[in-house]
Parts: sequence; C-alpha cells; structure tokens
Amino acid sequence: MKLYDQIFGVVKQFKKLFSPGPVTNADVSGSITAEIFLIVSMVLAVILLRHISPLLAGLVTLILAIVLISNIPLIPKFKIEQEDSLEKMLFYAIVVLALIVTFIYWGGSLV
Amino acid sequence: MAQTQLAILLTSAALVIIGLYAAIFIDNIIKKIIGISFIEEGVNLFIVAIGYKAGGVVPILMPGMDTSWFASNAAYPLPFGLVLTSIVIGASTLAVMLALVMVLYKRYGTLSTKVMLADTSKQEEYDE
Amino acid sequence: MNELIPLMVIVPLMAALLISAFSKFNRITKIFAFVVALCLPLIPILSNYGLHYFGGYEPMLDNVTGVMFHPAITYSFTFLQQVFIGAVGLLTFLVIFIYLTKYKEVSGPYLFLLFLGTAAVTAMILTDDIFHMFVFFEILALAQVGIVAASSIDYSYEMALKYMILGSIGSPMMLLGIGFLLALTGSVNITDIASAVHMGLIDATSPVFLLSLALIFFGWLYASGLPPFHTIKSGIYSKAEPHGAALLQSFTVMAMISIVLIMFRIYSSLPIFEVLIVFFSILAMILGVSLALTQTDFRRMIGFLAVGELGFIGLGIGLGTNFSLTAGLFQALNEILITALLFIGFGAIVNATNEVDTRKLGGLLAYHPKVSIMLLIGGLAMAGVPPLNGFQSKLMLVQASLSCGFPELSILAIMVSIATFVVFVKTYYTIFLKPKPNDLELENRDVPRSMVLVMGILLIIIVILGIFPDMVTNGISSFVGGIL
Repeated sequence: MKLYDQIFGVVKQFKKLFSPGPVTNADVSGSITAEIFLIVSMVLAVILLRHISPLLAGLVTLILAIVLISNIPLIPKFKIEQEDSLEKMLFYAIVVLALIVTFIYWGGSLV
Repeated sequence: MAQTQLAILLTSAALVIIGLYAAIFIDNIIKKIIGISFIEEGVNLFIVAIGYKAGGVVPILMPGMDTSWFASNAAYPLPFGLVLTSIVIGASTLAVMLALVMVLYKRYGTLSTKVMLADTSKQEEYDE
Repeated sequence: MNELIPLMVIVPLMAALLISAFSKFNRITKIFAFVVALCLPLIPILSNYGLHYFGGYEPMLDNVTGVMFHPAITYSFTFLQQVFIGAVGLLTFLVIFIYLTKYKEVSGPYLFLLFLGTAAVTAMILTDDIFHMFVFFEILALAQVGIVAASSIDYSYEMALKYMILGSIGSPMMLLGIGFLLALTGSVNITDIASAVHMGLIDATSPVFLLSLALIFFGWLYASGLPPFHTIKSGIYSKAEPHGAALLQSFTVMAMISIVLIMFRIYSSLPIFEVLIVFFSILAMILGVSLALTQTDFRRMIGFLAVGELGFIGLGIGLGTNFSLTAGLFQALNEILITALLFIGFGAIVNATNEVDTRKLGGLLAYHPKVSIMLLIGGLAMAGVPPLNGFQSKLMLVQASLSCGFPELSILAIMVSIATFVVFVKTYYTIFLKPKPNDLELENRDVPRSMVLVMGILLIIIVILGIFPDMVTNGISSFVGGIL
C-alpha cells in the first residue's frame, strides 16, 4: 500500500504544477506517463554502460532505479529546472560547455 | 619574439574568461552584453594571433619583391580576412541585442535580467 | 547547368535585400516575393550536380607532397543537397504563400527575414568551407531572432533576446573551435582539413584537436537545440507566428545536419565523437518528449516534440554506419515536412479560436473537420505509423541500431515513438474530441483556405515518401557512401 499512497500523493503534487489553472484528467495522465517514461528510459539508457563494463552497468542501473523510484514525483522537479528564465538556461549551457570540454580534453584519448 | 604571440594568446584567454564570468554572474543586462562582446573580441584576437609571424611583413606583394623571400617572410593573411568578417557579424549581433534591450527597458523600466528575462510560461498561459 | 549552384544562395539573398528596400510598393513586393519564392524549389531541381569554385580558383596540386589544395570557397551540390534545398525551398514557398494571402499589407522586413534564413541554410548545406558555414550560421541566428521578434505574441521579445544571448555564447565558442582547426591545418576548407586528418598529418589525439571538437560540438548543440538548449529552442518555436515556426524548425534541422556532416567528415576517426552525439541525442529524446507530455500550451508542446524528434536524427548519425546515417538523414527530411504540417495545422486552430491553452479548448472536430483530419495524419506520421514517412525512417533507425549491436537504443527509440504518440493523442483529444467548454468563444472566422491547401500539399508529400521511400533513401545512401 505504501507505493500506492505514494503514487496518490504524486497526483496531488501535480496540482501545483498546473496552477494557476485547473487540472484536467488529460494533464494528470500525461504527467504520470511522463513520470514513468522518464524513469524507464533513463534506466534503459544506463544499460548502455555495459559496453564499458557489465558490472558497472548493473550497479548503476540498480542504484539509478532505486533513486528515481523513491524520489517520485520527478516531473515537477524536472520542470522547475527547465523553466524559461535566462539564468537557468545560461547556467546549464555553461555547465554543459565545461563538462564537454573536460570530458573530451581528458577522456578523448581513452575512449 | 615568441613571447609576443604568447602574450596575445594569454590576453585572448583572459578576455574570454572575463566575458564568460560577466555573462553568467552579472545581473545588469547591459553589463552582460558587454561581457558577451568581450568573448567575441577574445576569440577574434585569438584568430589574429594565429596569423602572427615573428619578424614577418605585411602580406601584400609589392612590385620588386622577391617572391620566394616574400613567401617565407609574409604573415599568414587568411586569419585576418576571417577576423574582419567575424567583427562585422559581432557588431550586427550586438546591435540587434541592444535594440531588443531598448524595447524591453521601455516595457519594464529596469535593466535587471532577473526581472526582464524571468520565466514567463506561467503567467502567459492563464492570465486572460 | 552548374551555374545555378551559387544562384540557390544568391537569389533569396538578393530578393531579401530588394524586398526590404522597396517594401513601400505593396503590390509589386507581393508579386516579386511570390515569383522568387516559386523559384526557390525550382532552382535545385533544374541544376546539375557538381562543384562550384567561387572566383574560379580551381584546386591546386602541391607537387612536393602530392596533396590537393582548395583555395576557393567551394559549393558542392549532390543529391542530398538537392533534396534538402528542394524541401526547404518548397516550404519557404508555401510559408510565403500563406503569409501573402493572410495579410493585405505585407511587411517587407518580415519577408526579408524569411528569405535571409532560407539563403543562410542553403549556403550552410552547400558549402565546403567551415568559416563560410560559420558566417551563415550567424546570419541564420539573426534571421531566426528577427522572425521571433516580429510576431505579435506576448513575450516574444524576451524570448528573442534570450535566444540571442545564448547564441552569443554558443557561436564564439564555435568560432574558437574553427580557430583551433585553422591553427592546426592552416586551412578552412573541410576537404583539406579532413584529408590532413585522415593522412595523419595531424595527431588526432592532440589536445588542441580534441578541444576544437568540444567547442564546435557546443556550437552544434546551440544550432540544433539539443539539451541544454532544448528549452530555448521550443520557446522560440512557440513565440513565432505558426507559419514562421514551421520555417524555423526546418532551419534548425538544416543547420543541424549541415554542421554534423562537417563534424563527421573531420572527426569521424575519434570514437568519442560518436559517443557524444548518441549521448546528447538520447538526452534530447527523453527530455523533449517527457516535457512535451506536461505542457498545456500546445504550441510549446509541438516545440518540445520537434526537439525530441531531433534526437532520432542525432541517433542515426551517431551510430556511424552507412545505413544508420541514411536513416538519420531521411528522418531529418521527414521531420522538416511533418513538423511544418503540425505547426501550420495548430496555427490554424490558434487562428480560429485565439486560444493556445489546451484546458480551454475542446470540441473543435465539428467546426474544423478538414484541419483536424490532416492534423491527425500528421501526428500519426510523426509517431511513426505505417504507411507514412515517419514510419519508414524510424523503422530504418531501429534496424540500424539493432545491427550495430545496441538493442537498448532500438527499444528506447520505439518507446520515444510511443510517448510521442501519447503526447499527440492527448493533445488531439483535448482540442478536438472532448466536449466544447461553454466559455470557449469561436471567432467567426474560417481557417484560411491557403493554410488548408498548404497542409494538403505537405500531406501528399508525406504519404508519397511513406510509400516510396526508395526515391530518397537510395540517393542519400550513395551520398553517405561518399563521405564514409
């Protein structure tokens, strides 16, 4: 029952996501689909790590699945991070730039 | 003379980094745009530095010059041509950005990015 | 007739300048814009394949090393360029047709921006010169900003300025990467750079070379709107007029494939390049579709879907085999057509109701049956339902990733297709099928006939490409064989 309650709590939290307007059933079902899609696709994408090391892939998949499922609802958090303000956009752009440069500069000869 | 080129390269790196800092951390939109033009100028300076040749001559073949001497002593002209184009593009983007800022300043009465360029998706959806 | 190759860029560029100069004469401007727009899809069809050297500087053979050098800016025109320039030319024509029939007074500067953008993407996909590509990449960014700012939608200026500021960080980074390549090879011609890399004149593991990849890659992310730029990209789609958005997404796809093909030719020997492309494509698919599911503004929703579909193109290119590249490029062509159809169709709904919130809409099937049927088929094509063209390219992509030994990617691609379908069905239900809310006032306007006509034309192309995909895939496949 605990998981059921948690999912019910998720639906309540979606209300905030769609404020100030009303929440329709189509929106809620869409958000739940997005939630499940996000978890499944992330876990599926992590399986790709098996080309580096099967053990690493298994571990990361397990950890990620547990972390994601215990942290539902993810969509409100996701949406806040990807809103339209320039600060957030610039921040993520610069973070990605730094990550790409670091990854290629030090990891380019490894892969 | 390699120090000259090194100094130019370090200057361009400093310009890019200062520009990035300003573009991320300064709230005032005009200062942000100044930072952005710092980045552009830093990159232009870097490309100019590529064409630098210690003790070289201007890459224009004057009458009476020995062709093989010219080929070994002239600076590399391609980067200069590219930078000229790049400066023109930078100026036009700067003009468009400042024009947009002028319009937005009239609407909001402030130059703060937090106010001017905040998340607008909520209010526009349900405020009629 | 190889002389037509530079004309593909010169005609829209000159038309743009002339129209903005003589925009006072409304009637002449209209006729002129229509004629030029009609020429845009015709020129690539009439032109022969071949190379064009600007200034007539033919390639030179270095007698000492035996290497060919290309001193001129070179345009190369093959089947791939023909198909894509033809598609964008046709789309430009249709969009300008909608614009000219919708407004009595046409705005010269707006037509200027539309033509300028078309000229820029045409030059980007034709050129064999990386700096030339960069110049038109910047011109394209300016045209996109202009198209967004020219719309009368709320907050369009803000979105345009955000796009511009992010672009002013993305494009100097790209220029810096080009500068690194120039420093390494002393050339900006892509054929020269690629041959220098493949002959081992450049150490492919040297930090400068790797750094140039990182910086150009960042510029590519900005141009194609993959994460972290997916929010701003979907934002500018939703803030442009619907026909403008239809053109904007085609510009994005063209910029994406032209830059990625250039990067592929230079960096394909580095495995990390393909890893990066696949990583960002997966991220784009997941984020784009999951955010599209939670939107209530349907323009924004289509914007996020368009970004998510870009991931399929990246996936095909990142896998790096002949078949997968063909699939990715075919998907790019399909996406240009399908997303344009969706933007124009939903634009017709905005036109008829003046409302963009799905929560306030409903029951429009009875009022606009033609638009709704065509939108339904467009949505099915995007989700990949046979026999439409989206199905063919997605099937190819799934097969390609299976044959490369990545079954996870196949499953992911199918899942994203299903989620796309869910997004579409949800939106379709809320707009067309659910009971009409009482307070929804339908404006007493018909959907403009030109919009319905344009949707019909796009739909016919979608169905034809779905039934006969070989028309395009064979030619693309032989092009891909040339660059691999």
